[in-house]
Amino acid sequence: MIRAIRPRFRDTAARLDPPYDWRTALAVLVVGFCLILSGQRVELDRFTALTGEAILAQLGLAEESQVGRGLGRMIQSLFPIAVEERRELARLSEIDRENLPWLARIERVETTRYELDRQTLQLVPIVETKEYLVEPFGYLLRVLGKMLETLEIALWATILSVLLSAPLAILAAANYTPHRSVYLAARGLVSFLRAIPELVSALFLVLAFGFGPIAGILALGLHAAGFLGKFYAEDIEAADKKPQEALLALGASKLRVLRSAVLPQVAPSYVAYTLYILDRNVRMATVVGLVGAGGIGQELKGRYDLFEYDHVGTILVVIFVTVFLLDQLSARLRARLL
Amino acid sequence: MTSPVDQATVGERVVLAFHDVRKTFPDGTKALDGVSFAVPRGQFCVLLGPSGSGKSTLLRCVNGLVAPDAGTIEVIGRRSSPRTLPEIRRRVAMVHQHFNLVERAPVGINVLTGAIAQVPAWRALLHWFPEPLRNKAVALVLRVGLEPQHLHRRVGELSGGQQQRVGIARAFLCDPDLLLADEPVASLDPTTAQDILSLLREAARERSATVLCSLHQPELAVRFADRILGLRAGRIVFDGPPERLDDAALARIYGHGFPTDRLELAA
Repeated sequence: MIRAIRPRFRDTAARLDPPYDWRTALAVLVVGFCLILSGQRVELDRFTALTGEAILAQLGLAEESQVGRGLGRMIQSLFPIAVEERRELARLSEIDRENLPWLARIERVETTRYELDRQTLQLVPIVETKEYLVEPFGYLLRVLGKMLETLEIALWATILSVLLSAPLAILAAANYTPHRSVYLAARGLVSFLRAIPELVSALFLVLAFGFGPIAGILALGLHAAGFLGKFYAEDIEAADKKPQEALLALGASKLRVLRSAVLPQVAPSYVAYTLYILDRNVRMATVVGLVGAGGIGQELKGRYDLFEYDHVGTILVVIFVTVFLLDQLSARLRARLL
Repeated sequence: MTSPVDQATVGERVVLAFHDVRKTFPDGTKALDGVSFAVPRGQFCVLLGPSGSGKSTLLRCVNGLVAPDAGTIEVIGRRSSPRTLPEIRRRVAMVHQHFNLVERAPVGINVLTGAIAQVPAWRALLHWFPEPLRNKAVALVLRVGLEPQHLHRRVGELSGGQQQRVGIARAFLCDPDLLLADEPVASLDPTTAQDILSLLREAARERSATVLCSLHQPELAVRFADRILGLRAGRIVFDGPPERLDDAALARIYGHGFPTDRLELAA
């Protein structure tokens, strides 16, 4: 019976093939071979050896590992983190001894220095008293101030990206662009903005605008505009056509159709994208600070270069706590808005 | 026999007139193949025909959602052209088979968007509709049989029948001269379909609006129409009052073998 059926279906389009055939197997082989080649190029073998060694060392099965030693030394030097700010009083002008800042105190530190007496040729101890202004939470507050600046950079970068990408998205949506050439130009611009990494554009913008938050805002805002422009535009294109047609039939212009039939549909995903961008901008704002574009990253880079790892520890803790809190906040905001 | 166009012109003022309208789609389908008819003011005219007979295309030619290849269309005394289309669209409303509402927006906003083309741009963009219009929208929502608490519910949460009521309220918001209804009850159950068609007919009569409504069920057409236009393969094969829709006429519209007993059941 099966024999009778087979020849009839062999040449027609009406048949069901198994999901894989020799082409799939060949593709898997080729991809696997390429991955092995590439793995060697990026030293995956060394990576495996070093990580394995570190894990074994942790379990006590091997001697100290190179990775463990490096990481351990680094982490040890981060703690205890620096909370207070200690500055030599003699170098501070305009400090009123009677009216110190809140919680601040002055500490005297006696240091003994030995000097060679030229007559007796003996070392004579000389006691010097140095005065320090100690603010118990001074450095923490300073870092929190820098973190606030970072948040502000991220916020303004997000505002800039939304303002830039909203009109770009309309021009870059195939069904709402005024002309095919405008569409191509807008798509090109959006891709271009997305193609430049923040860190790279920040490098150049710092040259143009100097050290500080302006370069950070521009670098983050332009990159995010490329991201949002693409996603906003794709949502406009994918929105349900039926309500749009209904409003078109009532004589509404494109802009009015966008406002009344498209915006309500895309609003939830726009909120999601924008919150993601805000979240990402906070993290990236610390990174672009490393090249001098303001905020906490600039402070981090400075302390790291001076080997003040306890200060670096403070900065890292503050960044971690902030990102964690922001994540909670944006999750709640999303739940309320969607 | 005089042509339908002449008949209508002799009688009341003509709201809609087709003169030898043709439309062929790029895939070669002849959707409209020389259609001529005229609809006088206040008539409830039903387009009857099987799927693919050109009903939708005909309706969509009226408000320019489809551009005909040949022939002329006159709507509310204007000859349809890209120049007159904006004005025509503001005076011709449409009710859709799939309701075509913004499902995430509340009922009130959906009804108010019926005036989206008629308010100033800033009002349209901010959705800041003037108070008389808002009051009218509320009155219409109640008129179509919805409750006040529905005003703030999202349309997506409503049943199909309730959604079509919202669609009808939106269509009547700006007192259209002509209402196009493209299979308004095709996605609804039979009881709801009758309710919706009654509502459509009464609401149109109260406002002396003309209705051109496409249906594929002859029993509904016979029950609600003042006049039936039978369409088959893009041609008008029947034009007359519901009483004249006999077996022969149905055979012309649907081809032979149409189960005419369905008609008797409905009657």
